[in-house]
Amino acid sequence: MHELSMADAMVKTVLDVAEKNDATEVLEVTIEIGKLTMLNPEQLKFLLDVLVENTLLEGAEINIVEVPVEINCNECEYTGAANMDDSDHYLAIVECPECGERNVEITAGRECNVKNIKIEKEEGDEDA
Amino acid sequence: MHKIADVEIQHDIMVANSKLAGRNQKILDDADVFSVDVLGAIGSGKTSLIETLIQKMDHNIGVIAGDVISKYDAGRFEKYDIPVVGLNTGKECHLDAHLVKHAFGDLPLDSIDLLFIENVGNLICPVDFDLGSHIRMVVISVSEGDDTVEKHPLIFQNADLVVINKVDIADAVGADQDKMVADVKILNPDVKVIKSSLKTGQGLDEIISSLETFMKQ
Ligand SMILES: Nc1nc2c(ncn2[C@@H]2O[C@H](COP(=O)(O)OP(=O)(O)O)[C@@H](O)[C@H]2O)c(=O)[nH]1
Ligand SMILES: [Mg+2]
Ligand SMILES: [Zn+2]
Ligand SMILES: [Zn+2]
Ligand SMILES: [Zn+2]
Ligand SMILES: [Zn+2]
Repeated sequence: MHELSMADAMVKTVLDVAEKNDATEVLEVTIEIGKLTMLNPEQLKFLLDVLVENTLLEGAEINIVEVPVEINCNECEYTGAANMDDSDHYLAIVECPECGERNVEITAGRECNVKNIKIEKEEGDEDA
Repeated sequence: MHKIADVEIQHDIMVANSKLAGRNQKILDDADVFSVDVLGAIGSGKTSLIETLIQKMDHNIGVIAGDVISKYDAGRFEKYDIPVVGLNTGKECHLDAHLVKHAFGDLPLDSIDLLFIENVGNLICPVDFDLGSHIRMVVISVSEGDDTVEKHPLIFQNADLVVINKVDIADAVGADQDKMVADVKILNPDVKVIKSSLKTGQGLDEIISSLETFMKQ
């Protein structure tokens, strides 16, 4: 799996935004991970914790929010949350809860989104 | 004084890749190149199929060899005297649009009309990363077991053409090839599924005519 390259891209994104906003410290990072990305949140968190060492991000609280799977069914009119069976398969199987078919269009659950950060910054000179 | 600020980022790595992929497709369209992303497990016959198509199809073909062992695969393509770029993905388990963009720089796109991109041998990780190709061809083989399709639904839902290869050895490995076809149809009823053998030549004409049809669309 590609947790490492994803974690690396996330850290780069956050550092870039933090620097542009003159952050002296990053307190919190929120990342949304779709259930279908096959990224393991535990593994991702571990890698992020390692990658942020000696950066502005060191010590930040990293929140990983899992995004559930949503579908438009191609067999019936159903739209909404999907049935997921990830019990006995390596990869989650997505089914329509109405008709049980697997011919579905996935509309949510594939996110890998750096949502927002909370930073600390020096008060600007403007009101000095 | 310090102050605390919330900064909205909303940078989705998947969306960023899709945008780059869109730009890649524009580059290909401007150069009149039709491109096929070739996906499948290690050893399913991706390189062998592309080699056969290079010999049988009457097009100016180019190849981006993106599998992990691309140096080895690139060598197999180079002997046909066509433009080939090996992408060194190293430990990466998927190609992405950014890597493919780099490969374009090393290809004479203006003299190519059909470009095959052999993705990393993996049925899971490449699914989310569009490269900018016009179609996705998934190549699996009976030797991976006839439950391969069931176990990896996403890659088949996103396929435009599915090749079930090595049917010559289906009996030997005890795989039910028709179950594999049916499993694909459950996930993606409209996709074309072709049973093939590069040993006997079965299915090759059908693969070629499918690709030709996609190229004309
Ligand atoms: N029996 C049989 N072997 C095949 C067929 N297609 C490819 N192979 C063999 O499968 C092995 C792996 O093929 P290769 O093209 O390197 O797979 P790739 O990893 O997907 O690029 C090679 O030894 C091929 O000769 C086929 O249709 N039938
Ligand atoms: Mg290969
Ligand atoms: Zn991976
Ligand atoms: Zn349904
Ligand atoms: Zn990957
Ligand atoms: Zn680059």
